[in-house]
Amino acid sequence: MEDLGIKILGAILTTIMAFAVGMTYGGITRKLTARVQNRRGPTIWQNFIDLLKLQSKKSNIAHGFMGHMAPAWIIIAAITTLMFIPVLNGNLWFPNLTFHGDLIFLLYIMVFGSLGMALGAGQTGNPNSAIGVSRGLSQMVGFEIPFVLALVGLMVQYQTTSIKDLMEVQQQTGIWIMFSNPFSFLAAILASLGMFRYSPFDIVGAPAELASGPVSEFGGKYLGTMMSGGSIFAFIKLTLFVDLFMGGAGNGSDTGIWATLLGIVILLVKTFSLYMIPVFYGWVSPRYRTEQSIQYFYRWPLALGIISVIWAVVL
Amino acid sequence: MNSLFLILIILFGGAIVAYLANKLAPIVSSIVSFITITTAAVLFFTQVNTETIYQFTLGGIDLQWGIDYYTYIFAMIVFGLGVLASLYSIQYMQDKERLGYFNFNFVMAILGMTGIIFSQDFVSFFIFWEIMTWSSYLIVIYNGKEVRKIGIKYMIFSAIGAYAMLAAIVSIKGSFGTFIIADAINAGALSTNFYIPILLLIGFAVKAGTMPMHVWGPGAYSNSPMSFTTVFSGALSKMGILGMGIVLTALYHKAAINDMFGVMFIKQSLMWLGAITAAIATIYAVIQTDAKKLLAYSSIAQLGYITIGIATGTKLGIMAALFLAVIHGVFKGALFMVVGAVERQVGTTDMTKISGLIRKMPWTFLVALISIIALAGIPPLAGFVGKWMVYEALITETNSYFLVVVVFFASTAGFLYSYRFLFGLFLGQEEDDTAHVKEAPATMIIPMMILAVILVVIGAFPGLLIDPIANAMGVMGYTDVNFGLSTLSNVWGEQLNMQSIGMSIGIVFVVTFAFLSLKGMKGTKNVGTKDISTSGEIPYDHENMTYQLDFFKPFERALAPLYKRSMDKIWNQFGEGLEALFDFTRKFNTGNGQTYALYVVVFLVLMLLLKDTLFIN
Repeated sequence: MEDLGIKILGAILTTIMAFAVGMTYGGITRKLTARVQNRRGPTIWQNFIDLLKLQSKKSNIAHGFMGHMAPAWIIIAAITTLMFIPVLNGNLWFPNLTFHGDLIFLLYIMVFGSLGMALGAGQTGNPNSAIGVSRGLSQMVGFEIPFVLALVGLMVQYQTTSIKDLMEVQQQTGIWIMFSNPFSFLAAILASLGMFRYSPFDIVGAPAELASGPVSEFGGKYLGTMMSGGSIFAFIKLTLFVDLFMGGAGNGSDTGIWATLLGIVILLVKTFSLYMIPVFYGWVSPRYRTEQSIQYFYRWPLALGIISVIWAVVL
Repeated sequence: MNSLFLILIILFGGAIVAYLANKLAPIVSSIVSFITITTAAVLFFTQVNTETIYQFTLGGIDLQWGIDYYTYIFAMIVFGLGVLASLYSIQYMQDKERLGYFNFNFVMAILGMTGIIFSQDFVSFFIFWEIMTWSSYLIVIYNGKEVRKIGIKYMIFSAIGAYAMLAAIVSIKGSFGTFIIADAINAGALSTNFYIPILLLIGFAVKAGTMPMHVWGPGAYSNSPMSFTTVFSGALSKMGILGMGIVLTALYHKAAINDMFGVMFIKQSLMWLGAITAAIATIYAVIQTDAKKLLAYSSIAQLGYITIGIATGTKLGIMAALFLAVIHGVFKGALFMVVGAVERQVGTTDMTKISGLIRKMPWTFLVALISIIALAGIPPLAGFVGKWMVYEALITETNSYFLVVVVFFASTAGFLYSYRFLFGLFLGQEEDDTAHVKEAPATMIIPMMILAVILVVIGAFPGLLIDPIANAMGVMGYTDVNFGLSTLSNVWGEQLNMQSIGMSIGIVFVVTFAFLSLKGMKGTKNVGTKDISTSGEIPYDHENMTYQLDFFKPFERALAPLYKRSMDKIWNQFGEGLEALFDFTRKFNTGNGQTYALYVVVFLVLMLLLKDTLFIN
């Protein structure tokens, strides 16, 4: 019973941390982007302020059952995915459910939220939402392919499909996978540009064309809940990359409070530096058209992915 | 009387009674067909077991009927879907004409499939195969639309398949002297001469709709009445998989070591054909605007995954294939029923013409949603379990790393048409034309709901279905199939626990749903789909702004090179070539008696002139 209590407590703790980190990263990005564009910009806590405002709105508009459910799908997908990703190496406080699913499962559960959200957006009846969804799904077919190739490369090289085992391999050998299979890392990073949807891949929201796309009809508690889900998702993607390519964070055996805190700090440093890659890329890029965005992933990222699998087979 | 024989007799009698009952009242014919199939199904599940066998001699040929754990899986699909589809059919076909004709062929198709499942010799297998083909052909041309284009295409490909199969059966008899399937396999009929298994595989690939023999599929599936397409796509196409399973298992297990290169060749080409089928059919499903056509292409794509699984010949691969075969029958059956319900209630299935049916047909939408989640392979429903096994089999057991990526491409692009289907029919702004539409009648909703519930239950407890599949794999020669009630594992030891996934999703769902619904409940206003922000423009009341035309145009543009060539065009060109050839021969075969007389004279003269060189002795 005590075990279960710690697990539930750990799960809640993980969720809160993921939420806070995701929101703060978003805020920092807004500030940095503003400074690059020679604006003053909002404070880095602006996302929290926005959320508070949205959640405290007294009137909300719903467009039917699927629309009402849309934010719930995102939260479900976000928290469930989070439960299957090891946050720190073998730490007692973040055990979650890592041993019940593997990489293939992860690839699919991550789509769950987008599709649920897409259905909700579809029911609102706003044409911009549907166009955004059409673009988003098309783009997904683009970036998923190099990403899967990168993952297959890892699976083949280490003969495992579990994230936990991949982290352990890196702990034991002391070499991060980003160095032992650099092509896989590069393919995955290029694919992540599409996942984070900063310029030039911001075709889904496309503020100037689609009035924020799929979310255009949502406001108040709905938009607020979506924002929280999105922030958790940002943390999930970053942690997944750190786990897979950068050896995870924290050292497994020590579960003391200071070791845990140190682990979290290391995790934050690694995730933040990864997060800046799509952000930096976005600052210097205009927006692609949808087909250009898809074709982008079928050039270098795809080639790198194929090389990563060959590399893994040859090794 | 032997129960196997009895089941077939009941089906045959029922078919005739259904035909005659149409004179009484059309609806009686449908009810008779439902009762017949249900009786046969009840008899099968209560009276028949693996011990049951029926042997007799017909015209000097020993025939043998029976059932084993492998064919039992397919019997489950045929009888399960048969009963539900015929129940659905009663009200779906209510106002249609020539119901006697339709129901006769419907029951005959079930009879054909049941016969194939029972057959343990090649002769009855072939006879029942032809019964199945002919009855389905007659239903494909039932509504009289585009008979020439669709019906003939189906018939030509079926005929090619049948001839290939017949040639193989005759060679087996010639070389090995037996028609009994088990004896032939033990004698090495399917593993010594490669042309025999290849010919058989061609026959089965036609029914399974594998590239390049798939072109009959989209037309035939979408042109039949939906209550039959449920069986057509869900069960009838699986007969091809049944045959492939038998042939490939024999080939993989019995082939001599020095034939391994040939075996590898067949295996790899079949796997790649499956993958290409899945990918190409998927991208064509994406650009369809007719919901029926979309599902038809999707069926071909899904059969591609099953073909890959069965072609791997590994434990997890076969398990995945059989699992998907059943699950595909369930969700595609449900989806074709959904389209049928929409067609009956609205009058069209063109997604550019209808939208926003979710409020009018909520139950149908619920079934569509669950089935689409299963089709797309999203956890926690049963479709995901099948997909997971396919991937794990390919990665861990066969080293087909690039094949995995093609499959993944197909399956990701599958999200596109999955969404298109739900959006096209049920979401978006409501049309004024469809204001009168009501939910489909209960006898149509109930079979759909049953199928949807199966998807949810098998999703949480895949072990329920894997249990009979493990028995089937025992028959095929795979022992120690490893599975739990809700835990799956691959050869590398990784595990997937569907129950904890389901629970995690369930708990979060309840919490967030409660949060969204209860928080600020008073302030939440539920508005219609016309009340939207339009960036300052004010649309007229009758204007429908739903984005339906060219929904995935950017995707189409991005993959333009893939859309350029199509197998359909290639076959058509082949057909035109043949026509040109026949036109050319017509110059000689003019049909004029005098010309033929001239040929005879010329021939005789030539003979006389050349008699010394031709007939030396």
